[in-house]
Amino acid sequence: MTAATRGVVGIDVGGTFTDLFFSQDGLRVDRVLKVPSTPDDPSRGLVDALEAAGIRPDDVDLIVHGTTIATNAVIERKGARCALVTTKGFRDILELGRRDRPAMYGMTGVQDPIIPRDLRWEIDERLDHTGAVIRPMDDAEMRALALVLLELDVEAIVVAFLHSYVNPAHEDRVRAILLETNAAWQVVTSSSVVRELYEFERTSTACVQAYLQPLVSRYAAGLQSRLAERGFGMHTLVMQSNGGLVPLKQLSARAANIVRSGPAAGVMAAAKLAAEAGFDNVITGDMGGTSYDVAVVVGGRPRLSDETALDFRVSLRLPMIDVHTIGAGGGSIAYLDRGGILQVGPRSAGAVPGPVCFGRGGTEPTVTDVNAVLSRINADNPIGLKHLARLDIAGARAAIGKLGETIGLGVEDAAEAILAIVNQRMAGRTRLLSVEQGHDPRDFVLVAFGGAGPLHGAAIMREVGVRTMLIPPHPGVLCAMGCAIADLRYDMSQTIERRVADLTSDEVWSVFADQLADGQTQARESETALDGLVVERAAQMSYAGQIHTLRVPLEAGWSLDRMVEAFHAVYRAEYGNTLGDLPVTICSLKTAVCGRRVTQAGRRPAAVCKAMAVATVTRPVYFGGWVETPIFDRAALRPGDVFDGPAILEQSDTTSVIEPGMRARVDAFGNVLVEML
Amino acid sequence: MDPVTLAVVRGALDQIADEMDLHLIRAAISPIISETNDCAHGLYDAHTGETIAQGGYGLPQFLANMQWTVQQVIAVATAEGGFRDGDLWMVNDPYLSGTHLNDVVLVSPVFVGDRLFALFANTGHWMDMGGSVPGGWAPSATEIHQEGIIIPPLKLYDQGRYNEAVVRLIVANVRLPEQLKGDLAAMVNVFAIGRRGLEALFAKYGEATLRACIAELMDRSEQQMRSYIAEIPDGTYTALDWFDNDGVDDASLQVALAITVAGSDLHFDFTGTAPTARGPMNISDGTTKSMCLVALKHIFPGVPVNGGAFRPTRFTIPDRSILAAQYPSPVGGTTDVVQRVVDVVFAALAQAIPELVPAAPFGTTGVATVSGRHAGNGGYYVAVYPYPGGYGGSRVSDGLVNGTPPGSMAKFMSVEMSEHRYPLRFDHYAIRDDSGGAGQHRGGCGSTYGFTMLGDCVVSILGDRVDHRPQGIEGGGAAAANDVRFRIAGQDWVPPMRSKADRITLKAGDQVRMASPGGGGYGDPLDRDLDAVVRDLDAGLVTRQVAEDSYGVVIARAVPLGDRHRHTLDPAASAARRSTMRVRA
Repeated sequence: MTAATRGVVGIDVGGTFTDLFFSQDGLRVDRVLKVPSTPDDPSRGLVDALEAAGIRPDDVDLIVHGTTIATNAVIERKGARCALVTTKGFRDILELGRRDRPAMYGMTGVQDPIIPRDLRWEIDERLDHTGAVIRPMDDAEMRALALVLLELDVEAIVVAFLHSYVNPAHEDRVRAILLETNAAWQVVTSSSVVRELYEFERTSTACVQAYLQPLVSRYAAGLQSRLAERGFGMHTLVMQSNGGLVPLKQLSARAANIVRSGPAAGVMAAAKLAAEAGFDNVITGDMGGTSYDVAVVVGGRPRLSDETALDFRVSLRLPMIDVHTIGAGGGSIAYLDRGGILQVGPRSAGAVPGPVCFGRGGTEPTVTDVNAVLSRINADNPIGLKHLARLDIAGARAAIGKLGETIGLGVEDAAEAILAIVNQRMAGRTRLLSVEQGHDPRDFVLVAFGGAGPLHGAAIMREVGVRTMLIPPHPGVLCAMGCAIADLRYDMSQTIERRVADLTSDEVWSVFADQLADGQTQARESETALDGLVVERAAQMSYAGQIHTLRVPLEAGWSLDRMVEAFHAVYRAEYGNTLGDLPVTICSLKTAVCGRRVTQAGRRPAAVCKAMAVATVTRPVYFGGWVETPIFDRAALRPGDVFDGPAILEQSDTTSVIEPGMRARVDAFGNVLVEML
Repeated sequence: MDPVTLAVVRGALDQIADEMDLHLIRAAISPIISETNDCAHGLYDAHTGETIAQGGYGLPQFLANMQWTVQQVIAVATAEGGFRDGDLWMVNDPYLSGTHLNDVVLVSPVFVGDRLFALFANTGHWMDMGGSVPGGWAPSATEIHQEGIIIPPLKLYDQGRYNEAVVRLIVANVRLPEQLKGDLAAMVNVFAIGRRGLEALFAKYGEATLRACIAELMDRSEQQMRSYIAEIPDGTYTALDWFDNDGVDDASLQVALAITVAGSDLHFDFTGTAPTARGPMNISDGTTKSMCLVALKHIFPGVPVNGGAFRPTRFTIPDRSILAAQYPSPVGGTTDVVQRVVDVVFAALAQAIPELVPAAPFGTTGVATVSGRHAGNGGYYVAVYPYPGGYGGSRVSDGLVNGTPPGSMAKFMSVEMSEHRYPLRFDHYAIRDDSGGAGQHRGGCGSTYGFTMLGDCVVSILGDRVDHRPQGIEGGGAAAANDVRFRIAGQDWVPPMRSKADRITLKAGDQVRMASPGGGGYGDPLDRDLDAVVRDLDAGLVTRQVAEDSYGVVIARAVPLGDRHRHTLDPAASAARRSTMRVRA
């Protein structure tokens, strides 16, 4: 069985649409499809998509899948009923968080801890920060508590003790006692999920894992059997939020790792396509119906964040691709604020009632209405809408006109004003993200994708000062494609929190050796055909006393002195100076084991034949005035084709806008590269 | 004014200020800046000092404080011949620049050709400014000199010439000189970022259009603010509250506020507020005004941060009161004093717009500072623990737990991280049972933490709210009072100033136990949903006695479960008890 003979399917199950990408060789696009999701049973939509695409079991070697079930279960609080066992005196850590409030302004809000206080219990045990036992645990006390927990009708139990990341013995002992009491419980110890300090973040992560684990187990089992029924009994992998894959059979143990897997897949695909086209430094801009997600890729690697908040005081301390979101999408509503100044979003018309032009009862003008009224999207061919043949342009004009009247603007001018403002918001967030991370956005290439990304990418590029924009061949299903091209990934991390002077290099390398063995075991147990393992090691380091730590990539065999030297170099790159001879601390050690999937080495670039492309169709589109604009069929464009803006590109999954003053060309991989003239 | 240009210029100005915030947060050495965003950046009118734009990442407490600081610097600079290109002014004199000595402000003029266009300014919290206590929180200071070095408004750069002598003088007076130099350099560098953004706007729109936009934006913000004020019914609303003491003399200090709403104008009148305290429970009038606006923005988060929004407000603050301190009054208690300003604004406006205003939050920053030497290497450490506490109930919901004060966003240190760093062991960190004010929507409970010392150390605490508790509104009850206790050599001990304790010497095995106030309750507790009372009982957030006496419920069954009980109410009997209690009331 080789990947060359049978294909791979990537399926991204989103809240609104399920996207499918099928490729014979793992990269070339052989089929793409968008069908409505089935939120009551997401696996049904997935199987529907396979059938709608006409894919037969014989065609497929591998199914790779991104899903929102985990995110939705947390946001809607539909996870399992769980109990929590903590160190005496600390049962409220999960609810306390770290002293904050939901927003900088506003002193009200609602908190809904995923394990409420009456299900949080304590036992008398205590370790210190070196792992030494200060108060031993008493098995009898724990057995008595286990009997109490039996009466609580819980599916899963989290055990989270202080300093368990140094010494998990007490947590492990409690797990054993709980399973003796009731083998049906799913028991999650905090040290098995995160081997790092910060008790709130570790406890919260373990609670999210336990909260999702029963649900995700059921989902994995259901999906497997549903696929098998239809003959798709082959290997199935699931996208994680770190941009790597995990096999379906290992999914339940990694339930907390699959939140936001779709956006992560999009960033992975964008990074891969950009690298193939010769760009290593990338800003990805994914605009959909309600939000704009932006991420930074430096040197071909998507930036990871160590911690993410899923909700107020629901923290996940796991490596996730660092995706930032603002409420700006096709459904964002335009309005006047109390000062009479035009604003757009974050309030969205959502799927229901949706934009005015969708004819489902929406009355407030949205960004999509603006694109329709300015004829940037084709009113006669609405994408992904089955219930109407033509967008309601008259309705959209009326809604925009009414708003424009109050500030003295006609319909088209008001529409352009709304565009200018939503584009400025997205460009602003894009700039801030790169500035926050110390980069100059002008050194980056913008990859615009998502259903609405290519409509606005040109404006974002112009506002941010990015020189080149890349529009991938199928921007509307890029997340599904990202699933299909990703590798396996296992992240291991362990807190050290000691000064370098107090450590030996043997201690450090024995931790790395354990992490590597752990990752190798998991990769082996994945039963996935792999080309080999790539191992990345890093230390989180800081000057003694600092709160912010830096990620320092390390190479095999380095001495402690060499590590400190590397820390100084990273510090200088980040802050422009070092703090001289101050002692340096190793806060934690991290290993990522990536299993390279067997695929073809990469796509071969097509022959490029440079030619001015000519559109056979034109229509009036508004760019500061109505301009008769060439409309290209994306599917008909060939590598080497060149054309100038203004131009519109139409395809089944999205529409792209090339503004006046820009030139577009199709590269050897079918990407459209847009540059300022 | 073209509405598109106006909206886009506003977005661009906000973006410049945001980018300045983020640059400093990333580049600063001080963890207080980089971890808790204790800074602010903005663009100000060159003549009136009004805020044109201010970054959204800096702390609330600087909201309007920056504008008044810039106005003070304009007055001094004008008297000395005016701003010139290449000048950079510096000040931390809290009677002019507000808050405390640790907040250092820089002001940088921007010229277009030879015309002064506007002023950039920023502020950042420096870890140590000298004085008697590391970090600056000295509960028994009686004059500002015990709190650190004062920098009057002076030119750090004079037409581009760096005044190195002044930096050497400052550095010689602080405990962390290298850190200070790094923070100063970072703050100076940020102006280049701001100027670059502004120059791009000049190039795109020209000076005249920009000036017109800025003037128009001020007017629009004023209009926006007035639209909020106009929704508050006209009238005068008063509130009284107190501090326990000033840390030096054990006498309560009154804060009196009368807010008068007339159409779209607001007048804050603090007449009746106590004269300046001998101890450090004082703030300057600029900080008082700023905190009034912070309170308004907590009620109306849509209020823009722009000088136009401040125009409809007027202030009467008695000279040399605790809210308008002058030299040489100490101001180190600012972190607690500012909270009472928010409390009285909430309490007054709750009478006018109870649907929008929450009951009082916990009201004390209660900073506990632990210092000493590590047993192993003898290294000196200072650990700082800011108080978390409960928020008040509101028309919409119960109050939150473990909140940060209204002017701050600083977090509490992780217990595990703290134990790695400092020789003390936490005994507990928990929600404080039964500490939220009773109400239809209960106040959030306070927090409680305690630790045992593992070696000799010195502890200082600067808190309040022991004698005067956070109050409820609309019939809601008061929260539990602050409770600070030591256990020294096996004996319980409460400091004479209750929650203020200056440099208490402790030995290994001694303990500190802190229990912060909750938030006040909203609405009559007899109207609380019965299911919510059961939840609170099962969770241990209210006791059985409070459920019966304050919430008027009748408990049908309490089934033991471990060391707790699960409760069932008798709805009919509860309804009857509630009507009897209402009649009696």
